[in-house]
Formats: sequence, structure tokens, C-alpha cells
Amino acid sequence: MAGDWREEAQALWDRATRQKSSESKVRLLEEAVRMADAHGDVDLGYQLRDDLIDAATFGGYPDKALVAFAWCRGQQKKDPERFDPEGLLWKQKWVVGRIKEFPHITRKQISDALDDIEQCFAKVDAGKRSVLKLRYQTLRDMGDDPAEVDRLWSAWLAAPRDHLTDCRACELDDELDHHIEKGEWEAALRKARPIVEGRVKCAEIPHLTLGTLLYPAFKLGDLERAAEFHRRGYGLVAKNRDFLATVGNHIEFLALTGNHARGLALMEKHLEWTLDHGSFNDRFLFLVAAAFLLERLMATAERDVVNLRLSKAFPEHRADGGYEVKALHAWMLQQARGIATKFDTRNGTSRYGRWIERNQRLAQEVVAFPLD
Amino acid sequence: MDHRFQVSLRGVIDLLSHHLYSSPGVYIRELLQNATDAIRARQHLEPEHLGTVRLELVEKQDEGRATLVFSDDGVGLTEEEIHRFLATIGESSKREALEARRKDFIGQFGIGLLSCFMVCDELLLVTRSARGDGRTLEWRGRHDGTYAVRASEHPLPRPGTQVFLVARADMAEWFTPERVRQLARHYGGLLPFPIHLTVGGEQERLDSDGPPWRRQYGSATERRKAMLDYGREVFDTDFIDCIPLRSQAGDVDGVAFVLPASPHFNSKQKHRVYLKHMLLSESAENLLPEWAFFVKCVVNANALRPTASREAFYEDGALGQARDALGAGLRKYLMDLAHDDPRSLQRLIGLHGLSIKALALDDDDFYKLVIGWLPFETSLGVSTLADYRRAYPVVRYTATLEGFRQISRVAAAQGLCIINAAYTHDAALLEKLPHVFPEAQVEPFSAADLPQNFEELTMDERDAVFPLLRTAEQVLAPFHCGATVKKFFPAEVPTLYSSDEDGSFRRDAERARDESDDLYASVLENVMEAAGSDQAQLCFNLHNPVVRRLAAVSDRAMMKLSVEMLYVQALLLGHHPLNAQEMTLLNQGLLGLISAQLGAGGGGGPGGDGEDEGGPGSRGFH
Repeated sequence: MAGDWREEAQALWDRATRQKSSESKVRLLEEAVRMADAHGDVDLGYQLRDDLIDAATFGGYPDKALVAFAWCRGQQKKDPERFDPEGLLWKQKWVVGRIKEFPHITRKQISDALDDIEQCFAKVDAGKRSVLKLRYQTLRDMGDDPAEVDRLWSAWLAAPRDHLTDCRACELDDELDHHIEKGEWEAALRKARPIVEGRVKCAEIPHLTLGTLLYPAFKLGDLERAAEFHRRGYGLVAKNRDFLATVGNHIEFLALTGNHARGLALMEKHLEWTLDHGSFNDRFLFLVAAAFLLERLMATAERDVVNLRLSKAFPEHRADGGYEVKALHAWMLQQARGIATKFDTRNGTSRYGRWIERNQRLAQEVVAFPLD
Repeated sequence: MDHRFQVSLRGVIDLLSHHLYSSPGVYIRELLQNATDAIRARQHLEPEHLGTVRLELVEKQDEGRATLVFSDDGVGLTEEEIHRFLATIGESSKREALEARRKDFIGQFGIGLLSCFMVCDELLLVTRSARGDGRTLEWRGRHDGTYAVRASEHPLPRPGTQVFLVARADMAEWFTPERVRQLARHYGGLLPFPIHLTVGGEQERLDSDGPPWRRQYGSATERRKAMLDYGREVFDTDFIDCIPLRSQAGDVDGVAFVLPASPHFNSKQKHRVYLKHMLLSESAENLLPEWAFFVKCVVNANALRPTASREAFYEDGALGQARDALGAGLRKYLMDLAHDDPRSLQRLIGLHGLSIKALALDDDDFYKLVIGWLPFETSLGVSTLADYRRAYPVVRYTATLEGFRQISRVAAAQGLCIINAAYTHDAALLEKLPHVFPEAQVEPFSAADLPQNFEELTMDERDAVFPLLRTAEQVLAPFHCGATVKKFFPAEVPTLYSSDEDGSFRRDAERARDESDDLYASVLENVMEAAGSDQAQLCFNLHNPVVRRLAAVSDRAMMKLSVEMLYVQALLLGHHPLNAQEMTLLNQGLLGLISAQLGAGGGGGPGGDGEDEGGPGSRGFH
């Protein structure tokens, strides 16, 4: 019997190892983890979760990554000789980096988690640059005092790289957000050149970058390039729910350029991800982009009703597939507002609410650019 | 007159050898490329010109340094062109600049020639242009950046170009007859003109008379055999079939070979690609759609753009279109099989089900054709989807193996046919069914759906189990679990535990909370609070003798203890790991049962509660 379950768990693990990060990879590893737990095999449980944290992080399940990390972290603290602390440090970055994206986690907990990672990294005398980036991104995304955010931005870039620093591609991509935040479109595109030209890349770059650059290129009137970013970028993100927010970038771009049918096709395909995505931030960004697309449909009075094949899990699901644009728009907006309120209340700022209002500004910027 | 290059040649050579090319052996490729371009240019002037490339290896007596003379009868260069390619070299100090220069004949010529400095220190180029005044010119260049251009003392009888390369001492290995023969065959084997190699006065022909897939064959069978032989020669694999490939975009043609064994899921196949009949890469990955990992192919493209290193195709619109067209060819092959030869298709499904499923997911028409043929594992054995749908109006499936295990035995006993869709793509394929066939009904199924299929209790039975139900609700409330009583088969199963996705997540999070430190335990508390709040359910089976006896027990403490143990047992049977609280329940419960049994004086015999002896109203635990 004992041999049996081990073989089965191993088979699940092997299957998972052969897959790219995805829903099914996460499921396989979770299943194997439960087997290990059910048989009280802590070592196997630890190794499997070590993989699960990766698969969940890069497969769009930050909540599951958090749960797996918390378990490993507990084991590691209880028995640091058996479970090497160093191995978990790199993953702790991923988890702490996304902890702000769950609105039910308090400010105090977020700040504790940041202090905690700083202490963990200090113990191995490394990772200053990484912690500064995490602090910068967290405060920025929570909409904190701009002077403090700017201070952290400079401190991050001034700190020396070391073995706990993210790869060149990721760091470069993260820098772009700062320029876009400030409306420095040209700087963003200039900095992104090594990524766009394929000289710097990693598992998630240029996937994320090509979505990020759509709006800057659009703002500069370089629609040809934006269209190329869309063509190259969407295929890279279409099959992994970790890129939900990036799909939002693409929908926004299609709406901005009057490519409504294409935009709807993306919304139809990916709406399901928003229904149970662990990151409320990514749900939110998608919903706001979808709301913008539907606003454009209403503004151009193209259709009152659109035919969409949406999942049964969608609360407003209709068997005949006919959806009133107005009602759909109201649903997206209501969901987005609900999330925005939770975040803004938690953060004590108004960043998320303001992001919804941004749609009105976007409506003034629309330029028709049909994609063939 | 002597000149100097405008930039440090060392830097450019360094760029080429360390950053651009993967091996010094590419010098042969670059020379072949230059010769090919020159012959094509001459054919443009003289359409009847066939073109020939000659390589001659001369062993030098004195120093023992080998010399390679590489000649073509292409268009040749004028003096002005020589100066132009030199200028090109001078400007090519950046990778991007090099890439741009490749696009014109002269630019490519210069860059190609430069690659020879990876293997020698001095080059002599002798050339006579078909467009010029009939003079023969020579250019002597050194790796230090000096060069001289002058009229040659040994005029060529006909237009063309000769390059003399003297092996650098440390590069002699790239000048052996074996190596030169192998490299020239490797890169130029498909060129549509003769390539001759002369070593020690012996001449041999290295080309293979153009791509084998373009040759004429006596019959389809002969062609198939020739293609499969070619596939074996190239990839050292016995393929099971071959598929012709053609794309107008990029002007691509070639042949795809069906792999004889299933490759790993999502593993990218490495294809052999030629650009204008020159080998570009043996490991091109971006040529076919993602789903097409069941084939390896050899193709030639005349109008796709190579990357700067000339070792892959540049990812642009033309490549995208070519990829679509090649994918369409493979798709047509599969469609034809589905129409004409379903048995072969089924064999292919057995071997390359993952590729076929991946394509079906992306392509509605293909899906329609193939979905019925796909086999699925169910609670009642393996069945194709077509057979399944003929027998059952609603397609029901579980998306995880765990979920399937929890229900398969009970479902089978109720005669329910549930698909195990835990295999790659299966759940997504089934979910797609109603999108493609609007009349189809597809429902995910979990342990939570089973009780709906169970027999309800009669009024009397309801009254009889009421105390049990009340007790169970109280006992299980702290575990986010509700209780029901129904009748189902198999009778040996006393209870069925069911929870949805949110329930599983909660259980995982609880175990992590139990193990983690204060910080992350508190974080997880908040995460769990926000997660869905649907309760798990424990369904008691009144067909089960133990459950019937339990319902009749009057000792509430014993009833409570028994419910707790049945709950833990149900979790264990369903492969649900226990959290700390449940573990405590198990440990205390076992001790409680033992002590209760001991307290009864042991008169009832060991165990005393065998399933087959009991019946409703018979002896309880006391």
C-alpha cells in the first residue's frame, strides 16, 4: 500500500513537471501534495509545494502560491536544518510581491510581511535591492504618498544587484511601470528596446512588456507599432491566466482603436478567469478594460445586444448567448467598483477609484485604426 | 595601394565569432551563401546559366598549412562593388547594422567574407565581373585591417570569384577534407546546382540534386518510401507517415514527418530549415503552430527573413502567415484521415492524442470532426465521446483525478457514467462541446452532486434519523460541514464527504495555517474569510447497517463520538488530508471508542460491530 501511493504521487509529479505553468499543472501538484499530507510525508509535501509555488505563481494562482508558501515557511522555521532557508528566499519575493493584491489582507499584515522579508534577507546579507523594489511597488500600487514612492524608486535603482535580485528582463520591465505611471511614454519605449528586440527575455518577458507598451505607443501616435505589439504579445499571454491583467491591456488597446469585434472576442475568452482569479488587482484591471470596451460599443451604438459564449460560471449567464451590452457593462462596472472600494478602503487612498474614472479620459483619446 | 578599414576589424570579427555565430564552421556556409547569391545574380543576366561551385583543398608542403580555394562562376565583382563591400564591413560594428546589411547582395557579401577571418588571418579574393570591363581584380585583406586592391596578374578566363583561405595554425581542424566535405554537404546539400570538392586531384560531387520532395516519383508508394527514407536519413527516426507542406507566404515547401512515439506534452520539435536552399538551422522551433508537436519537418523557404545570426527565422508577419499555412496543411491531413480513414485516425489519436486534442481546442471545424472519436475514461469504463453521447443525454465529468476517485465507486453503483477529465485538455474539450453543438448538455460533476441521485428517506425513516441528523449538524458545524441522510449504493459505504473547489482550497489553507508562523497564519485567516463560504456535506447512507444502528443509539455521547469518527473516516477514504483539529478528533475518538468498548466489559466479543451482523434496532455500542 505504502509503495502504491508514493508511485501515484510521483506519477502526478512527473506529469506536472512536463507541463508549462497552467491550471492543470497546479491541479496535479495540489493533488500530489494532498496525498503526501494524507500520509504525513512532510519531506515530499515540502518538495511538491516547492514546485507548486512556482507553478501557481506563474500559472495565475497567487492565492495558492501563498498557501503553499505559508506551509513551507512554517516547516522551514520549525526545522531550518532539514529545510534550507535559502531555497525559500527567492519564492518569498514572489509571494510578498503579490500580497497587496488581496484586499482582505490588511495594511498591517502587508507591512509586517515586508519587514519580515527584509529580516530574512538581512540574515543572508543580501537582497537589499529586491526588498527596495518590493517596497516601491507595494507603496506605488497602494497609491501611497508620491514623494515616498519616488524616494523608494531611486533607492531601488541605486542599490547594488546581487544573487537575490530579479533577472535583467524582469527588472527592466518593472522599471517601465514607473515611466508609464508618470506619463513618460517615450522613456518607456526607449527603455523597453532591448526587450522588444528580443535581446533581453525570460519566462514572462516580453509577454508582459508587449501589453504594457500598447498604451505608450498609442499615446505617441505610433499605431503601427502598437498593432505589432498587440499581434506579437497577445499570443504569448492568451493561454495563461497569470496574464489576466495583460489581456486587459490588449482589450483596452482594441477598444481605443475601434476594433470592437476583436476586443469582444478577447473578453469572451478570458472573462472566466476573472470570476475566480486569486489576484483581485488583476480581476479589477481586466474588468475596467472590459467596461471601457463595452462603453465604446454603447457610444458608437454599434449593437445593443452581443452574442457571446460565456461560461456557465458567469452569474449573468444566458443559455441563448445574447447579452445586452448595457447590462453587461453595468455588471463589469459594478464588480470593478466593488473591488475598488475594498482596495481603496484598505489602502486608505483613492488609486483604484481613479483608475475607473480614467475610462472617461480614454474615451476622448479614441483613434480608429482597423486591424486587418 | 594599401588601405585601412574604417573601423577596427578585430572588433567586428570578435562580434561575429563570439556573439553572432555558434561555430567557426559557418565560414563554409557564408562562402556558399555568397556563391549562391552570385550565381543567382548571373542567372538574372543569363537565364540559361547553370552555375557551379568548386572547393579545392591544397595541402601546402612547407608549413603544412592547408589552403582552401573556393570558386564560383557567379556574377563576380566590379571595382566599385569591391569598395562598396569594404565600406559595408566598416559600418558593421553593431549587430543591428549587420542584420540590415544582410538584405542586399553586396552587404551580405562583405559580412560573409568577414566570417572567414574566424579561421584565417589573410584572405585573397580574385574576381571578374560579368558586368564589368573584363578585367580581373584581386583583393588581399588581413585580419589587422589592412588591405590592397589591384589588377590581378592571373586573369580569370570567365566571370566568377575565387577566395583563397590559408588556415590559421589553431584552425587547421576546420580545413580537413572530412570537415570541409561534411560542412559543405550540411549547408549546401539542397542547392540546385553542382558543388564539387577536389582533394589531392580527386574530384567528387557533394550536392544531392535539389530537395527530394520536389523530385518526380513513379508512384505515390514510391514517393512515400523515398520520403520516409529521407526522414530517417535526416532525423535518424523511423517515422510513420509523411505530409507535404506548402505555404505561399514566405514561399515555403517541404515535408513533415509523423513521429512514431508520443513526444512529451508541449515539447517543441526541432525542425530542419533551409533558406533559399541553404541550411539555416537544424533546430528551428517557431515554424509550426504550437499544437503540431506530433511532427518534425524539413522545409525550404525562399522569402522568410533570417535572424542576424542566420540560424532561425525572424518572428514577423510573414512567418506568422507561413506558420498558419503549414498548420493548415497538417490540419488537412488530419481532416482527410477523419473522412477517409477513421481507423488510421484512431491509431493516430492513440499515439498523438495530445496534439489532436490541442488542435481540436483551437479549431471548431476540426473539433466537430474529431471529438466523437476521442476516448474518455468513465466510471463505467472507457468510451468514445460519440458512444457516450448515444447512451447518455448529459455529459458529466470531473476535472481532477482526486474528484473522480471520490465519486467513481459510488457513481458506478448508482449506474452513473461520469467521465474522468483529469487528463490534459479533456476538461476543456468537454466544456467546449455546447459551444460547438448547441444542443449538447455538459455538466461538471463532483461528490456534491451525488446525493441528488440518491434515494430520499420515507417519512418514518426521517423521524428515525432525526436525532442522528441533529447531532451530526452540531458535531460538524465547527468543521464547516453540514449533514444529510439518504439511501445509496454500495451499502458498504457508510458516508460520503463532498466539498467544492472553495472547500478544498479552505482545507489546504487550514493545514498551511496550522503549520505556519504567526504572520502567515494571520494572513491566511484573512484569505480564508474572503474565500467562498459553501459548506462541505457529510451524507449518511441509511442502506449501511452501521448507520442504521447508529441512528437508533440513545447514548448521545456515543452518537457524537461515532459521528466524529465517521467524519474522519470519510475524509480519509476521500484522500482528504486532516487538519490539526481533525487529527485531534481522530486520536481522541479512537481512545474514546476503545475505552467505551472496554467499559462494556468486553462481553460482546472483539469489535462486535461487524457490518454484516448488525441491522436497524439491533444492539448498539453498549
